[in-house]
This record gives sequence, structure tokens and C-alpha cells, in this order.
Amino acid sequence: MANLAVGIDLGTSYSCVSVLEQGSPRVLPNAYGERTTASVVFFKPDGQIEVGNHAKANIIHHPVHTVSSAKRLIGRFFFSEEVKKARAIYAYDIREAPNHGVRIGIRDEQFSLPEISAMVIREVKQVAEAQLGQPVTQAVITVPAYFNDNQRQATKDAGKIAGVEVLRILNEPTAAALAYGFGRGINQRVAVYDFGGGTFDISILEIGKDVFEVLATCGDTFLGGDDLDDRVLDLLADEFVARHGINPRNDPHAFEKLKAAAEETKKGLSVEDEFRVEITDVMKDKSGESLALDRTITRVEFASLVQDLVQRTFKVCDEALQQSDLTTRDLDGVILVGGPTRLSVIRQAVTDYFQQEPKADVDPDEVVAMGAAIHAASLIGQDAAADSILLDVTPLDLRIGVVGGFAEPVIESNTPVPIEQSRRFTPAQDNQESVSIRVYQGDSRVAEENELLGQFEFSGFTKGRRSEVEIEVAFEINADGIVEVTASDPNTGEQASTSITLSSGLSDGDLDNILRRDRTARVAAADVTPSQSSPRHETRSEKKSPEPSVDTTEAFVESDAIDLGDLDLDDEDLEIDEEKQGAWDRDENEESGIALFDASVRDLSAPDESSEEL
Amino acid sequence: MAKMTRPEIRALSKIVDELDYYEILRLQPGAGSTEIRQAYHATSRHFHPDARRHLDDSLIEECTRISKRVTEAYCVLRDPRRRQAYDAKLSRGDGLRIQIAEARAVHQKETVQIRQGRTAQGRDLFRKATEAMAEENWPAAFQNLQLALTFESDNAFFRDQLDSLRDAHPSEI
Repeated sequence: MANLAVGIDLGTSYSCVSVLEQGSPRVLPNAYGERTTASVVFFKPDGQIEVGNHAKANIIHHPVHTVSSAKRLIGRFFFSEEVKKARAIYAYDIREAPNHGVRIGIRDEQFSLPEISAMVIREVKQVAEAQLGQPVTQAVITVPAYFNDNQRQATKDAGKIAGVEVLRILNEPTAAALAYGFGRGINQRVAVYDFGGGTFDISILEIGKDVFEVLATCGDTFLGGDDLDDRVLDLLADEFVARHGINPRNDPHAFEKLKAAAEETKKGLSVEDEFRVEITDVMKDKSGESLALDRTITRVEFASLVQDLVQRTFKVCDEALQQSDLTTRDLDGVILVGGPTRLSVIRQAVTDYFQQEPKADVDPDEVVAMGAAIHAASLIGQDAAADSILLDVTPLDLRIGVVGGFAEPVIESNTPVPIEQSRRFTPAQDNQESVSIRVYQGDSRVAEENELLGQFEFSGFTKGRRSEVEIEVAFEINADGIVEVTASDPNTGEQASTSITLSSGLSDGDLDNILRRDRTARVAAADVTPSQSSPRHETRSEKKSPEPSVDTTEAFVESDAIDLGDLDLDDEDLEIDEEKQGAWDRDENEESGIALFDASVRDLSAPDESSEEL
Repeated sequence: MAKMTRPEIRALSKIVDELDYYEILRLQPGAGSTEIRQAYHATSRHFHPDARRHLDDSLIEECTRISKRVTEAYCVLRDPRRRQAYDAKLSRGDGLRIQIAEARAVHQKETVQIRQGRTAQGRDLFRKATEAMAEENWPAAFQNLQLALTFESDNAFFRDQLDSLRDAHPSEI
């Protein structure tokens, strides 16, 4: 039996699995013949779980026990905007876990987001196994191009929990371009317009005979098809209030019914000119009377509801074109990805913006999984035809926290990966015991406005006057877009004990526990062959992987206030900083008098964890 | 480029620190943007970790090491501003690598300096010229720009301003 690796498009709303067979990618349908599987998990009262389109049907009756759109939450901190938004929209219990993590509470159990996603991955893996008649243990899993390191790590963990070796985390638009260009021997510049369930991405690629180079990628992780549904949902809810004087938003069952109707409306309008929402029993009034809703929505009305959301995507497109030094005239094609791109309001707007019709021969729901399958086959050497090289970029600036609550870029967005950059720093004070290194992703100079990827203490350097101390920090982004940071003393060559893989929201211990308990395998559906392979118990690398602790960060920022007097970063100081920074390169012996780190002096022997200025 | 043998990969990995970005991509110093992109694609086919998955772990590590340097070289050379800063650094004999983020910062600073003036007198005179232009006092603007150029004779931005002023208001100057 030939070794096969599959491609999995783990979507916000739907997931899809594909495999490369005889040189062409095939989407693997589930037992019901459905080519995509809803990314929805229903937790039955008996402790079993059900995943997919049938689970989705349960949302209306069991909204509290049915988890959808987990992708919107994976790799996020509890305090993030996206989590706040989700708590308002979804009926299931979204809780705070230690270190600002997120857990889903179902009855008396709590699940991490990677576990929920693992259940979806396990489902599509079993779909693939049933179709292929052999175990599937390796996969390429796709993520939105604009996913940050935390989200990528968490997705990789999800694969691991599901018993899948994740060969590569691949960007969705890149996968789509691969599927489009694969085997065509073309030489084109294309834009991939990827409007997913929960995210929007645009990538500009140059497709060569056997090389796919991403020129630029930009995105908006707060914009997706769900937002279109929400607009329709609001309209329906307002209509209901106007007719019956009762707010259906306060009733979880009624709310889910309207939400389902909103999604149907959106889908209906991608084929019909108008769509009639007719629900005889949205909810009961106090006397037990059924309250109905009957409303017809036209394409024109829908277009005006969502016009601003659609226009928002073009701001992102502008940015991507600018980053790649191109205009729409330079593009040979536009590829649409994601269910919402079937909508005429989006197709028309895209045609107007790019001044050309999008490619018609690409299925927006399946093309990402197909690209992932091609890349999976290439990575395991399964198919000689599939040996294209994907040259991707990092979507976000990678930054390091510096004095005064700022974050300086070390690797800018749209830098090709894999890449490594090293920087030399000096501690803030003489005889400093350790420095705190904080790593961020985002486009803001203000540290707090970026995503904190992790932080760690480094003390393995020679102590002395700060002008004599040097610390080298190496930042690496691998081909998965995953970040690794290492600190070392360049003079002694002492490689820090603090090489870390940054946070994934789950600690090694958490992951071990999850793999041991393996709650994701309790699939109740009888229609799929149970997986042969139980998840392998894998411990992650020996490297230290601390949880991101935002409390600590805040404490640091506060303690900076003491330093701020002489470290006020106005423009003039910055210029001096740059000059001195340059001086490190020019002459290592020259005194480099600036302290980039807001490294507090720490007495390491002190039992108290909190930092203290000495 | 023919397929590299294992010893060749190992040897290249050892000396990659001693190569400048042009040598890493096997380019001539004057190479144009198309050549740079083609060179990036060709070298990536050799060293990108995906292209070398079938090799043993230690060799993949060497390839990744080279690949990261290839990316860095491409990243600097494809961007005219970064490339300019790098070429200047090379000609000073000032090292073979440049920080990607720094290369752009250095260039931006230089641009700002050129636009506002590098010298105190140049800045002052250019400011006066700008004020005069706002007041449509073309002779004063012309005079101040000319004076600014005596302090910064190589400031192309000042010279452009002067030329366009001369073109726009030939009779008044």
C-alpha cells in the first residue's frame, strides 16, 4: 500500500480533505457524499461527540452543546476582541483558562480550542481513510495567510492531537494558487482573493513552471462570511422585533434559528435573485403561541447590507498590490476562494476592482484542500509531477519589545521565509542579572497593540558593565511561518538554555495530558470507519515553552516608568539610537551605549517572581 | 545550475558566512531585478527545505541554513532601497550582511535628510525657500534654494526643486 498524505482545508465553517491521485487532486466525499464537512462539533449528553453536517443541524436544538467556528478562537487570548465578539454571538460557553487562554465549557468538562479543531481534523481524516481504505497519518493543513504564530502553533497542535503528522502548515491562498497553476506550465501573476467564513486574505503570486512565489500577502482576520450572515441576522431579528415586540436575540434557540436562516439566505442569494425566509415557529410568546417570521430578501437589498464589508476587502487588496509594487493591470488572473465568493455582490465588486473576470474554472470551496493535497504529495515524494517549490512570506512584522513599551521590527511583513535575523543588544544596566525578551507580531510600534507571541528570561550571558555585555538574539521564521527565538552570548559562544518555541496557548504538559486522555476520539457517528491509528504520544521538543503571561508584561511596562526619564523615545533620540545601532555592526569594540531592552534588574535568588528595580 | 552533491552542499554551508549576497545568489554585482528573481528561484530549488525533504536530517539542516541566507540575500537585493544601503556597506568593506529592517531604516533616514537638508544651513535655507514658495514669492524661493545648494551641492532633491521652479516661473526669476 503506497504511502499517502492528504491535504486538509480546516475552515471556519466547512472543512475539506483531498488527495493527489494519478497526478490530479481528488476531493474525498464523506459517507453522505458531501464534499465538505461542517466544522461543527456536537457534544451528546452521553459524552459522545458528533462532527460535521449532522452536528450542525443540532445547533438549533442544542446551541449550548454545539461548537462552531472554533477557528475564530484558536490561538487567541481570552481578552482579544475576537473572543469578546464570539462570546456575544455563540451560545456555547467560552471560558477563560490560566494565562489568558480560552476553553470551551461543555457540561462538566472543559476543552481547549486545539482539541475542538482536532475533532474536526479527526473527522475528515476518517472520511479520507474510509475513501482510501488505508490509514492516513500525514497531512498538510492550511491556515489563513494572515494567521499569526500563536494561531499556527495551535493549529499544528490540533493536528497532533488528532493523530496526524502535520507535514506543513500552508497558507490558504498559496494552496489555492498551487491548485490553479499545478501542471499547467504557465507563467502568470495572479491575485488570490480568499473570503473565508471568518477571515479575508489576499495574496499576490508569481506562478512559474515549477516555482510559486508569493510576492505579498495581506489580510483581515476580523472579516469573513460570518459577518455577512450577521448583517442578515440583524435584519431578520429587527424585523421580528418590529412584528412581535419580542427580542429573539435573548432566546438562544430563536437566535440560532435566525442565524441558520441568515446563512441560508446568503447561500440562496448566490444562486437566486431573491430568497424568502419563512419560519413558522421562531419562538413562543408568554401564552405559548408560536411567533412566525416571513421575509423576502432580494439580491439588491443584500448587496446594500454588506456593501461596506465588501469594500473593506479592497483596502486590503490595495495594500497587497502596493507591497508587491504592482497594479491590477499587471495581473494575469484573479482566483476566488471561499464560499462567500459565490455571491454576485462579491463577484461583481471583484471584477470591477481588478478590471477582469475571476477565473471560472476554480471551485472556491475545494481549491484550497486540493492545493494542500498537491503539496502533501510533493513533501512525501509521492508524486514525481508534484515537485513545485512554494516560496511564501511571513504576513506580519516580527518585533522585539524595547524600552518604553515599544516594539521594534526585526523581520518585516512580506519577508520571504524561511528567514533568520540576529540582533545584538545590551542590557539596560550594569551588572544586570537577566534580560526579559518579549516577542510580538503586528504592525504597531506600540508593543501592547501587537500580538504577544511569548517572552522569556535570558541570564546566560557574562555579567559586567553594560557597555561590555552583549546579547545576541536570533529570530527565525520557518517555512510553516512558525517563529523561534534564541538568545546567546556571542563572546563566550554560550548558546542560551533559552531557545524557545513560542507559546501555542497549550503548554507541553497540557498537550501531554490531552494526548493521554484523548477525548477527541469519542466520535459517535456510525457512518465512518473508526480510525485505526490512535494518536501517538508525542512530547514536543525539549525546548522550554512558557505560556505567554500578559500580567508579567504589564508589570514590566509599569516598571519601565522608572526608566522613562532618560529614555524618552522621541524622534531625535531614535535617530541617535539608529546610529548607535549601526555602530554595533561597524565596530564591535566601540561602546554601544544604548539599552534596547527594558530589561529589569532581577535578583534571581529572590523567591518572589515579580521584578524589582535595583 | 546542476544538482548539487552532498559534499558540495556541506561545503557551501560551511562557507556561506564568507559570501556576499551576490555570491550567494550567483549574481553579477550589476544584476537586474529579473535576474535576481530568477536566481532566487533557481537557488531555492536547491536549498529550500521542501526541495530537500528526502535527505537525511543533518543535510536538511545545512540546506535550511543556506536557504535562510538565500532568502536574506534576495530580500535585500530585490528592494532598491535596501540594495543601495547594502552596496554602500559592501564598498566600505563593512561586512557581508545587513539587517533587513535596518537597511530600510538607514535608507529612510537618508531620504529624510536629503529632503530636509543634511546641514544646518541647508535645512534653514530650504525651509526659507519653502516658505517663500508658499507665499508665491518666486525670486526669494529661487535665491534660498540656490544658497541651500551651495552648502549641499550634491542634494538631488534641492536641485530638482530648483529646476522645477525655474521651469514654472522663468520670467519672474
